[in-house]
Amino acid sequence: MASADLTSKQESRHSRAGGFADAAPHPLTSLLRRLAGRVVAIVTTLLGLLFLTFSMGRLLPADPVLAITGAEVSKEVYDRVYNELGLGQPIWMQFFSYVGKVATGDLGTAATTGQPILTDLMTIFPATIELAIIAMIIGAVIGIPLGVTAAVKRGTIIDHIARIVALAGHSIPIFWTGLMALFIFYAKLKLVGASGRIDVFYEGLVTPMTGFLLIDAAIQGQWDVFHNALGHIILPAAILGYYSVAYISRMSRSFMLEQLSQEYIITARAKGLGTRKVVWRHAFRNIRVQLLTILALTFGGLLEGAVLIETVFGWPGLGQYLTRGLQMNDMNVVMGSVLTIGAVFLIINIVSDVLYRILDPRTR
Amino acid sequence: MLKQLLTTIAITGALMTTQPAWAASPPNMLVIGTNLTGIRTLDPAQNNARTVSELISNLYDNLVQLSPDDLKTLKPMLATQWSVSDDGKIITLTLRDDAVFQSGNKVTAEDAAWSIQRVIKMGQVGSTDVALWGFKPDNVEKLVRARDEHTLEIELPQAVNTDLVLYSLAGSSLGIVDKKTVLSHEANGDFGGAWLSANSAGSGPFSLAQWRPNDVAIFNAQPKYWGGKPEMARVVARHIPESGNLRLQLEAGDVDVGQYVASGDLDALATNKDMVIENVPGLGFYYIALNQKDPDLQKPKVREAFQHAFDWKAISGNIMRYTGFPWQSMIPRGMIGAPGEAAARYDYDPAKAKQLLAEAGYPNGLKKVLNPSGAPTLPFAEALQASARAAGFDLDLVPGEFTPAFRERKFEVLLGNSGARLPDPFAVATQYAFNPDNSDEARLGSYYLWRTGMKVDELNTLIDQSMRERDTEKRTDIFKKMDGIYSGMASPLVIFFQRTDPYVMRANVKGYHGHTTWSTRWHDVTKE
Repeated sequence: MASADLTSKQESRHSRAGGFADAAPHPLTSLLRRLAGRVVAIVTTLLGLLFLTFSMGRLLPADPVLAITGAEVSKEVYDRVYNELGLGQPIWMQFFSYVGKVATGDLGTAATTGQPILTDLMTIFPATIELAIIAMIIGAVIGIPLGVTAAVKRGTIIDHIARIVALAGHSIPIFWTGLMALFIFYAKLKLVGASGRIDVFYEGLVTPMTGFLLIDAAIQGQWDVFHNALGHIILPAAILGYYSVAYISRMSRSFMLEQLSQEYIITARAKGLGTRKVVWRHAFRNIRVQLLTILALTFGGLLEGAVLIETVFGWPGLGQYLTRGLQMNDMNVVMGSVLTIGAVFLIINIVSDVLYRILDPRTR
Repeated sequence: MLKQLLTTIAITGALMTTQPAWAASPPNMLVIGTNLTGIRTLDPAQNNARTVSELISNLYDNLVQLSPDDLKTLKPMLATQWSVSDDGKIITLTLRDDAVFQSGNKVTAEDAAWSIQRVIKMGQVGSTDVALWGFKPDNVEKLVRARDEHTLEIELPQAVNTDLVLYSLAGSSLGIVDKKTVLSHEANGDFGGAWLSANSAGSGPFSLAQWRPNDVAIFNAQPKYWGGKPEMARVVARHIPESGNLRLQLEAGDVDVGQYVASGDLDALATNKDMVIENVPGLGFYYIALNQKDPDLQKPKVREAFQHAFDWKAISGNIMRYTGFPWQSMIPRGMIGAPGEAAARYDYDPAKAKQLLAEAGYPNGLKKVLNPSGAPTLPFAEALQASARAAGFDLDLVPGEFTPAFRERKFEVLLGNSGARLPDPFAVATQYAFNPDNSDEARLGSYYLWRTGMKVDELNTLIDQSMRERDTEKRTDIFKKMDGIYSGMASPLVIFFQRTDPYVMRANVKGYHGHTTWSTRWHDVTKE
């Protein structure tokens, strides 16, 4: 919608400018061309990603047959599963047949769950996205004001606090923080739930619709379940969020500092504008685009951070799924998960790129 | 600005503090914190591992059962009585007439026969034990048959000690399934395997209410269970892979039973009066495997040197405190033929090990690559590496998942652990001492002695005899003889500890007893 509006505005501006017909390509054409280039880049990247994970899977001393059968298996059963998996074929054939299947949405079957990978991903991915979104909100809501304030009040106590927060976020292992937070907020204060997305007493009360438990519970008016689920997600999300606060606040601070030394800010101040207006109306508007990129990167980082935090909190999401796949040598799971994370990164990249163009006229 | 920041933090805090205090699990619900990794199906025929065996043992009844405190005496379950023909070839079982499946169908001998046939025909890991007696997809239908609605006949294809056969019928893989229901869900000749992976069709005290792989399994009590309605209305097995988190939940009372708790957390829980730790002996060992395809390790004196290169006493009080006890015989403690003195056959003696190495032609010591079989045996491998250094072994420890390499005979020195389900020395002997064909092509990866590349005909003969022999006294002698040969030959599988499985329980949980064969049942569990 926004981009359509933008295009029409651009067109009217272009016609007002009275440019020659052959001077510049039509903005829509150039956008489409850019998008086409993007799609090619995405497909190539995904193929590269597939090739890498596939090679990794074959180079590791892992036996996909044993992932399915367990270690104590008779020769007959072993051979049967070996043939079922097509492991007797040449390696390049295995790769191309895998790519062919992926193209049709068939990511294979998970040895560790017995389910098609796609089915597994539909179940678990929303759990991770839900966690990452809430962590993201926490990270942005705290990190941006903290960073901006630290820049404005440079050298004051707030600035030092922001720096300590950033330093701690970079140096304390998330695993340890998770356990400590559980110890304090769950074991001692009994404020939050400990493991999983929901307490076992509430299992089965909400019918999965979107896969996002909080949304599903709200839609169905199951406020007890919503409340309980919120109590489960808040701690892992807050910890993940904290680690992004560290990064977001550091970056916001440096962007803001750069803006505050610009001439237009000095002019605005000379005109007698209040600090709040100068900072939020003028300077902040100019760092929005950079912040968007940072938030996009952070979201990708949150998916990575989820690997450890999901293990600590028994959170049934993509991170835990991937970790287990690696532990159990379930290469279909590893490849499917890596592909998903890769795809998410690409999507984030594209979305932030498009938004960047929309928000920053200089890039058009 | 600062005000805004503080407001934001306050809102976040308020969100967190609006939660009610988290309550302990209700009195009629048992919550088990465990590790559900790798459980891909809840079909009895497709499983035989530890955690899943417990889940399945509560959905399905077996024909016979063994109680956790007496692994020698078979007890009735779906079969009220059984007899063996004089020639030892036919076992006849009489089934109870008051058992029903969760579908409401009556449990008949036809269901029992079909369940056994199904396990053999599917040929999955669930058939590992019962296939030892010679049942094959093409003979099982003829040999295992329902004579009438309540009489099941099992004819043995070869001479086998019938107690062994009955022990295998008590294993979780041989849970009796509802033939009619399962067949109604059959797809592509899979014997209903795909449907049974996430559904239950048993006559056990519980039915499956919900199953999400690697997350949670929920079981509801069956009010019409023939053995009486279970006290627990619901049992939940929850995937809690992080030991520290599991410990906190046990302490808080949110989890009643904890499995796979790490050694450090067990130490902490042991001092808590609200906790009980039960160490259940397992049918397996912790061992060092030495590849006989390696010319250095082929030398008996080198293998003997390994017996004296490991300071096992140093770890028996810490990392092995809950997961094993010192034991150095191939016959598990407490079983027929087990020696009385196997807790310290090998002493840690670096000087002796060095001397043995020198005699074998390695006066300057020996360098080898050491692999753990997987993450659980890594601490054990680290301890071996440290103590073997003084004994002249320079072991280069490469961590990772090495069971596949072990099965392929692609290793030098490996540290592993094992488990078995049949409560008879025959099962363990088969695993540790049986190798009918030492060629690479044979690929007998389920036999450890084949994995290490050694074949001892005398042991093969004795194991075969122990399977056929029906006289307990004679069998005892066979196992004693086996143990003598094994310890005298400097085996390439150097056994140091017998496995134990620690179960942590809250003190108010009564009637939960971890089972050596992993068929832990919840029917009699109560909470005070």
